[in-house]
Amino acid sequence: MSEDYSAKISELKSRREQNLGMGGKEKIAKQHERGKLTVRERIDLLFDKDTFVEFGLLASQQAVRGGEPDTDGTPADGVVTGHGEVEGREVWVIAYDFTVMAGSMGAVGEQFKAARVRELALRYRRPIVWLLDSAGARIQEAAGSTFAGTGYLFYDQVVMSGVIPQVAAMLGPCSAGTAYIPGLADFVPMVKETSSMSLGGARLVKAATGEDVTDHDMGGSQVHCYESGVGDNEVEDDRGCIAMVRRFLSYLPSSNTDEPPFRATDDSGDRDVDGLEKIVPTNPRAAYDVKRVIKAVFDRDSWFEIKPAWAKNIVVGFARAGGHAVGVVANQPMQKGGILDSDSADKAARFIRMCDAFNVPLVYLMDVPGFIVGSQVEKEGIIRHGAKMLYATSEATVPKVTVIMRKAYGAGYYVMCGKGYQPDLIVAWPLAEISVMGPEGAVNIIFNKQIEASANPKETRGQLIETIRSQINPYLAAGWAMIDDVIDPAETRRVIIRGIEQARNKKVERPWRKHGNIPV
Amino acid sequence: MTEVKAELVGSVWKITSKPGDEVAEDDVLMILESMKMEISVTAPRAGKVREIRVKETDVVKEGQVLVVLE
Repeated sequence: MSEDYSAKISELKSRREQNLGMGGKEKIAKQHERGKLTVRERIDLLFDKDTFVEFGLLASQQAVRGGEPDTDGTPADGVVTGHGEVEGREVWVIAYDFTVMAGSMGAVGEQFKAARVRELALRYRRPIVWLLDSAGARIQEAAGSTFAGTGYLFYDQVVMSGVIPQVAAMLGPCSAGTAYIPGLADFVPMVKETSSMSLGGARLVKAATGEDVTDHDMGGSQVHCYESGVGDNEVEDDRGCIAMVRRFLSYLPSSNTDEPPFRATDDSGDRDVDGLEKIVPTNPRAAYDVKRVIKAVFDRDSWFEIKPAWAKNIVVGFARAGGHAVGVVANQPMQKGGILDSDSADKAARFIRMCDAFNVPLVYLMDVPGFIVGSQVEKEGIIRHGAKMLYATSEATVPKVTVIMRKAYGAGYYVMCGKGYQPDLIVAWPLAEISVMGPEGAVNIIFNKQIEASANPKETRGQLIETIRSQINPYLAAGWAMIDDVIDPAETRRVIIRGIEQARNKKVERPWRKHGNIPV
Repeated sequence: MTEVKAELVGSVWKITSKPGDEVAEDDVLMILESMKMEISVTAPRAGKVREIRVKETDVVKEGQVLVVLE
């Protein structure tokens, strides 16, 4: 090799090394002190060994819009981009580097690097993962009215929605407009203590409204995974967060034109489910933990709950049934009696739509006393929120299996995929109570005059309640063939698997429309 | 001092604790009835029951204080 040539190669090597070094030793030490991993450590955890291919390693901040580039150098312009494999399947990544200008989003990083990943991921129909640890827009470059030319990222995210899975892993701050990245993503795990998201960061909030609050207090996981529902799952550290991203992706196809990966299991699809009688009380008023039912029914160790700490009266998440990925929607009697309210309807609707978009069959485990009623919930718009779940369940054309375990009351029965919502299979346990309302409520409406006219209203009411109660049993619904079968709870696993497999070639034709108008 | 509030509207069906009781986290303090379900009101932390602000059959609103722990 000529001297000239090797000098060129060594320049390339040194440029590469320079940028692989991120923001330098000091900044890296600081990142570790904060309990965070560096962007490159995170990428190593995200992808299968040696599969990461980087795009734009040699990028750096450029003198744009009158600003001077940072004299210390800005390796990769503060964002590492490329693709790699997760369990053998291609995934694209946009990972912010907090050691370079606080991971701020600069013109090169955003308009060229991140934009290229969005474009290619969509072109090849592969999932995108954002690893977020960023101070937000780089104000040095963005302040002023050239702001007019920004904002493409959210537009792109909306175009990609329901086409490729989008994951926003919260590993640090994510404030200002960039908070809409998780706002639009399909899955948002948040690291405890170190991550936060808010429409305005603490300094902006102070300037705009005078409120004195830290980023963490305003938008940490304790807010978003417990109160707002913007975050999905709280995790202890970066490692746990990235492991969870990999797990999430394992249930989804690469795009809406693929099927979710099948994972063979040695957990027999034909086995009886033992012990359900010890979990679910026959007294319909008594509570129990429905997650124990889920764990007993689906493939061993396959349960992956989403939003476990928010709107806990409904439980949603992925599991596998005989190797098939499924989305589970289950009422949780242990929380608020399993009653549906605004937040639980929102949570379920969002999850159902994600499953439907990505061809993941749905399994509804029903034990619902109904929607909460009263003046308080009308003020918060329970009709509008409940309608989202009604909409999502109707809209879903993936295979749907409904198991009525105990209560199936009122609109609760509808949104949990009752007969009218085109389940591919709907079965009930012998404990099932299907009715528009409970006998105690119904008796006052149906027999009001009779009770008032009675010499002994209390006794008459009691007798009439029993009359109505005798009409609430699954054999009446099965007698009309409104449900497909009444099953022994022990049969639940094999019935669900058969239902999913029976519907594998499902095709549903709907009238042409631009799109429906889901209540929001 | 911790106030334990009703998480939804309902009536007080059964009170299972009394002032002076030492309770552990997640112990049942009372049971509400709402929408055909028994809904347990549990201690958010360990402590001593200082006050019970409702009686059985009372109708309670969402957010109403039921029990005060010290």
